[in-house]
Amino acid sequence: MILIIGGAFQGKKAYAMEKFSLKEEDFTDGACCSEEELYQAKALNHFHEYVRRFLEEGKDTAGLPERILEKNPDLILISNELGSGVVPVDAFDRNWRETTGRLCCSLASGAEEVHRVVCGIGTVIKSG
Amino acid sequence: MLILVTGGSGSGKSEYAENTAVALAQKEGLPLYYVATMKPYGEEGRRRVERHRKLRAGKGFETIECFADLKGVSLPQKGVVLLECLSNLTANEMFEPEGAGDGTVAAVLEGVKALRERSAHLLIVTNDIFSDGITYDEVTRLYQERLGRLNREFALLADQAAEVVCGIPLQLKEKGV
Repeated sequence: MILIIGGAFQGKKAYAMEKFSLKEEDFTDGACCSEEELYQAKALNHFHEYVRRFLEEGKDTAGLPERILEKNPDLILISNELGSGVVPVDAFDRNWRETTGRLCCSLASGAEEVHRVVCGIGTVIKSG
Repeated sequence: MLILVTGGSGSGKSEYAENTAVALAQKEGLPLYYVATMKPYGEEGRRRVERHRKLRAGKGFETIECFADLKGVSLPQKGVVLLECLSNLTANEMFEPEGAGDGTVAAVLEGVKALRERSAHLLIVTNDIFSDGITYDEVTRLYQERLGRLNREFALLADQAAEVVCGIPLQLKEKGV
């Protein structure tokens, strides 16, 4: 697993395309894909949107990072960082942003590499 | 040593701070204290506190609750102290009846300095609440401004400062350990 994180509009997808020679058709969109499509994907964009839908459907995220790592170990997964703002007033938003953060902690722990993209510039914050 | 640990919600900053505190205490044979600043409001608050308790369980921390007026907190011995977290403490000082109100920044600065004198090592967990780009109401902006100021003050005093991202510590400032 390669995990790529960063704030919104930081150029994470363009960075991934260049760094890992990906084409547009290599990406599955977390905003609309099924769980099965996630496990088949070469690269997944908008993981945080996948988490939002998962929670909206009332599903439990326990075991999700482990399943992704096991079923799709070569996945290049892109997620927004959501946690660096004022605590949202809305309980669902609070839960969504914290859950996304914790899932990314678990994915990062199992990933071979973690890249963080700021202003289009990627920094490898975990490797090997 | 003074260590500042920052990060967003769900970034793994607490776990990193706890493990760092435990390692320091083990290395130097010191007692571990956890200064808890969060008032557990409602079901979600209780769950949050419970989650942190579970995370700390078995690591050997003695928990001391302090919601405001950190200057008045007493510790049994000089040990490794983990203050969690600056964002709650600042909110309590601003918004709770027993808080310092307009004197929040001074109260937190003095409180942390007093706590540091009573500790062999002090670790402060704070929060990055500054990067969502939303313009909030006046009171929330004042809270952001005060916490931002306190974060800067403590980073200046700190021997180490780290931002935790996905459980990975990125060192922002590091003096000889």
